[in-house]
Amino acid sequence: MSKAQPLAEARGLEKIYPGGTKVAAVRGVDLRVERGEFTALAGPSGSGKSTLLNLIGTLDRPTKGEVLYEGRSVSRLPASDLADFRLRTLGFVFQAYNLIPVLTALENVEYPLVLQGVGPGERRRAAQEALSWVGLEAYGDRRPDLLSGGQQQRVAVARAIVHRPAMVLADEPTANLDSKTGAALLDLMQALNQDHAVTFLFSSHDPAVLSRARRVVHLVDGELRG
Amino acid sequence: MIRLAWRNVWRNRRRSLINVASMGFGLAAIMFGQSLLRSLQVQLIEKSTGSITGHLQVQDDKADLVKMPDRFIVDPRPAAAALENDPRVRASGGRIHLTGLVSTPATSVGALICAVDPEKEKIITDMHAYMTQGDYLGKTAKGLVLGESLAKRLDLRMGEKAVIMAQAADGSMGAEAFRLVGLYRTGSESFDNQIVYVPLAAFQELLARPGQVNNYVAKLKDIEQADEVQKDVAAALKGLPLRVLSWKQIDHEILGVKAFQDAILFIVLCVVFAIVALGILNTQLMSLFERVREFGVLMAIGARPRWVMRLLLVESALLGAVGTLFGLCVGAVLIAHFGRAGLSLPVGEALSYFLPFPSVIYMRPNWTAHATACLAVFATTVLAALPPALRAGRLKPAEALRHV
Repeated sequence: MSKAQPLAEARGLEKIYPGGTKVAAVRGVDLRVERGEFTALAGPSGSGKSTLLNLIGTLDRPTKGEVLYEGRSVSRLPASDLADFRLRTLGFVFQAYNLIPVLTALENVEYPLVLQGVGPGERRRAAQEALSWVGLEAYGDRRPDLLSGGQQQRVAVARAIVHRPAMVLADEPTANLDSKTGAALLDLMQALNQDHAVTFLFSSHDPAVLSRARRVVHLVDGELRG
Repeated sequence: MIRLAWRNVWRNRRRSLINVASMGFGLAAIMFGQSLLRSLQVQLIEKSTGSITGHLQVQDDKADLVKMPDRFIVDPRPAAAALENDPRVRASGGRIHLTGLVSTPATSVGALICAVDPEKEKIITDMHAYMTQGDYLGKTAKGLVLGESLAKRLDLRMGEKAVIMAQAADGSMGAEAFRLVGLYRTGSESFDNQIVYVPLAAFQELLARPGQVNNYVAKLKDIEQADEVQKDVAAALKGLPLRVLSWKQIDHEILGVKAFQDAILFIVLCVVFAIVALGILNTQLMSLFERVREFGVLMAIGARPRWVMRLLLVESALLGAVGTLFGLCVGAVLIAHFGRAGLSLPVGEALSYFLPFPSVIYMRPNWTAHATACLAVFATTVLAALPPALRAGRLKPAEALRHV
């Protein structure tokens, strides 16, 4: 693969939700994300941030356009191949943490490696390391319901990076956290970006959060502005 | 996956326990039904063959009737030799079963006369166990054993004589006086009122048929060998005007009853399986709806649709395994208990007209049938999870993540 290729690229992305009144959530978006970026998608609620993240994260298929990773189009891959692609290439952090409630923090972090078929010893070591990066090495045996919201989101970040993805997509990662905890999470994401070269693409409408991004892409009514 | 599936199973503990209980008690009920029916059928066969039929009979091959052959075996020695030389035969002996008339000064009654060799008959059938007075013919040359109720009808007391009349070989009516030496009571109306026992030699003399019998009966060491012994004995007697019948051909109505009971049990089993399947389907559908978002997360982090399907199927299989194990234990304990203590049922009364039959069923396991039921319950739980699993496999990650 050519080094000139961006890590991820959206070309003419469009997403229209069918129904009585068709809603165009994303319209004609072109976006390039380079390796090592710490980029925010900004915009008010309903502007299409989550939809665009879902499209770039291959969780949803575009109505028009395509998503490319290192020059390779992935938008039309079969569901199983897309799952494999996400498993190897992407990490996700969700607004509502979305940890598996029946697994401990350590087991949650391990899970992408379980899906990859990594052996128990190696994946435990990797999960413990990821937990230590987010400062929760002492909380590995706790189930999510025994962790605070901020701790749960840190575990979610550890889960997103444990398999060393090319990019982490985070949809409003601080929206459910208080400002102090949110700031701490952003510190963590920045540290991972700087110290471990993890590429982040995250969405937010919070100016305080957006001010931490190195690049901000504005989305209004499903279209990129500025 | 198994660890995650196992924890998911117990995520809603109460619901899973209710499911395990419904599966377990369903399976236990199935096992109980299988065992009860099997025990009933085995006891029915044991009683029928043990009261009169025996396991195998050699008869004249031109006899029209199988239960009471209307033709005599003039020379039963080849049959005796074939049966006595077979190591699978516990005992064998010649008999005459013939209708006749029993007369006393008070009255005359038509009866089925069973002329037997008393010592052999004690091994072949268990009628001697029903004796209430005297002994089972013993060594009395012209002794007579009757049911208590028949003796009462004949107004005949122990030590008194009755005349037995039957059609002799030349067509004339043979008659001979026999002394009442024993009374029995089986509780079966047809036995106690109709069947009389006399020594074989004396009855052969009455019929002017020395050495002749109309059936040569055998009791086997293992009734399950009846078919193969029948085949071997028939081969040994090939060329002679004889036929070899197993109890299945003589008491064929028992097989009909068995088939009927098995059919009813099968219908009941289908209903139980349907109930179990609906329970599992309901549980898994609820589980699916509750966890759509979670499946979305799993898919987002890289789980393939097929993997999510497998997760649901494994959860169901684990639930099924626990339920099956629980049911197996409950069923086995119930069967073991009623195998020792017996289960009192009015079945003896229901069958008493035809056979001496006890009212207590001693349950015995039917492991082949139980294993089939366990597998079927387990398979039902897995199959019932298939529709929700397929549905989960078709979820789209973005839509699943938006699910509330």
